[in-house]
Amino acid sequence: MDKTQTKSDRDFSHPQVRTENLNLYYGADRVLQSLSFDIPRGCVAAFIGPSGCGKSSYLRCLNRMNDFIPGARAEGRVLIDGTDIYAPDVDVIALRRRVGMVFQKPNPFPMSIYENVAYGPRLFGVRDREVLDETVRSSLEGAALWGEVKDKLNTPGTGLSGGQQQRLCIARAIATEPEVLLMDEPTSALDPLSTARIEELIRDLKSRFTVAIVTHNMQQAARISDHTAFFLLGELVEYGPTSQIFTAPEDKRTEDYITGRFG
Amino acid sequence: MSTRKQEDADLVEIKRMLLRLGKMSENAVVRAVWALKNGDISAARSVIDGDDALDELTERIDGSCMSFNARYQPLGQDLRMVVSTMHMAVDLERIGDYGVNIARAAIELERKPLIKPLIDIPRMSAILSEMLGKALSAFDIEDCQAAKAVFLMDDQIDALEKQVTRELFTMVMERVDRLEQAFLLMGAARTLERAGDHATNIAERVIYMCTGKTAKASDYKNPKNKRDDQDEDKNKDKEKEKENRDEA
Repeated sequence: MDKTQTKSDRDFSHPQVRTENLNLYYGADRVLQSLSFDIPRGCVAAFIGPSGCGKSSYLRCLNRMNDFIPGARAEGRVLIDGTDIYAPDVDVIALRRRVGMVFQKPNPFPMSIYENVAYGPRLFGVRDREVLDETVRSSLEGAALWGEVKDKLNTPGTGLSGGQQQRLCIARAIATEPEVLLMDEPTSALDPLSTARIEELIRDLKSRFTVAIVTHNMQQAARISDHTAFFLLGELVEYGPTSQIFTAPEDKRTEDYITGRFG
Repeated sequence: MSTRKQEDADLVEIKRMLLRLGKMSENAVVRAVWALKNGDISAARSVIDGDDALDELTERIDGSCMSFNARYQPLGQDLRMVVSTMHMAVDLERIGDYGVNIARAAIELERKPLIKPLIDIPRMSAILSEMLGKALSAFDIEDCQAAKAVFLMDDQIDALEKQVTRELFTMVMERVDRLEQAFLLMGAARTLERAGDHATNIAERVIYMCTGKTAKASDYKNPKNKRDDQDEDKNKDKEKEKENRDEA
């Protein structure tokens, strides 16, 4: 057993994200079926599975983005750092500060690079220009973009290349210092070099955040994640250390999926 | 819907090549032992001449596995199969080399009358041949139970090697002029014992390929030999300790 494995095992005793018997309904359809598992602190957890298996729906449960979908209803509990995010008294806006999200398609706001990153902290009441400057710089550095944009912070974010835009979105997501970062296929619209940059960034980010990532690219999951979950028809079929899931999974359905025998 | 047509075809081709390499390696050893027993120099030379083809096929398997990895980035059982095949090809290539070593010994004997009729060495070769047959057939049909049968056969080869060595020692003690030939024959027996270990490795690989779990032949061997192995390990540890002490 390697060192990472031991660390992860220890961290399972104080998981960052604990999902307990979670069911999600869209109207009468149950799209997530009694999910229960833990994501340890400071690790990258990847979610794989064929389209419609519920992996993105699960991701959206973690910052209650499903609240926006009419008829969506979650049952069960999701605890982030021990707090149930579905408890009645939860401030959803504050929750989304703790749980940042990056989407498939880079979606910078139609404003300058600086304002894109400063937007979140401003929303949460930061007014001091020096503090904002520092947050913008450190977030752009954290997203490995600072060097490329530091001389053009006032130009529109939409003028950047696709890969840079996605890193800008990551900078925007980490500017509010979340605990968990959700990524829904963050590189599927990017070229291989930009993808490699983002993957490297994800590996760096996990020292500061717990990362949950949905990806259709299994090699990507194998490269960057510590734990992998395989979803099928709303069910969590298998969840375990990535090295095991991709070399010797226990469930035949996982084996068939990762070898392309179905899906 | 499965879209694995080309992938499956490539895997079948890799498997076919490995089975062919297995047959060639087995033939090399069996033929070399036959040449040793019958003093057939031309048979021995044909084993030595055939080694290039064996090496070439090993390289082709290696290349095909590399190319498969580059094209498909296999996972799960495909990954286990391709990586295991690469390991098995190395084991088989080595067995082929052992055939060459025995063939060289046969040539060195230069049709001199043997100091004793060869009985156990051909038996070892027959067991090796069966081990390889079983291991490769288990690989072919992906049957881990069939692969386990190989482990116990390795015990038989080990026992025969000890017997041959003991017998030849005694013969040399009786007449020292038998030394040169006894050395050659002991070398051949030792080589076959090593080949048995490589056949065992192949069986272990087949089990890993089928189950994803590492198998150790020693877990399946008969308790006496297991004890011998453990004693050997302990002795090795002691020797190591002693070396460390000496160095300090």
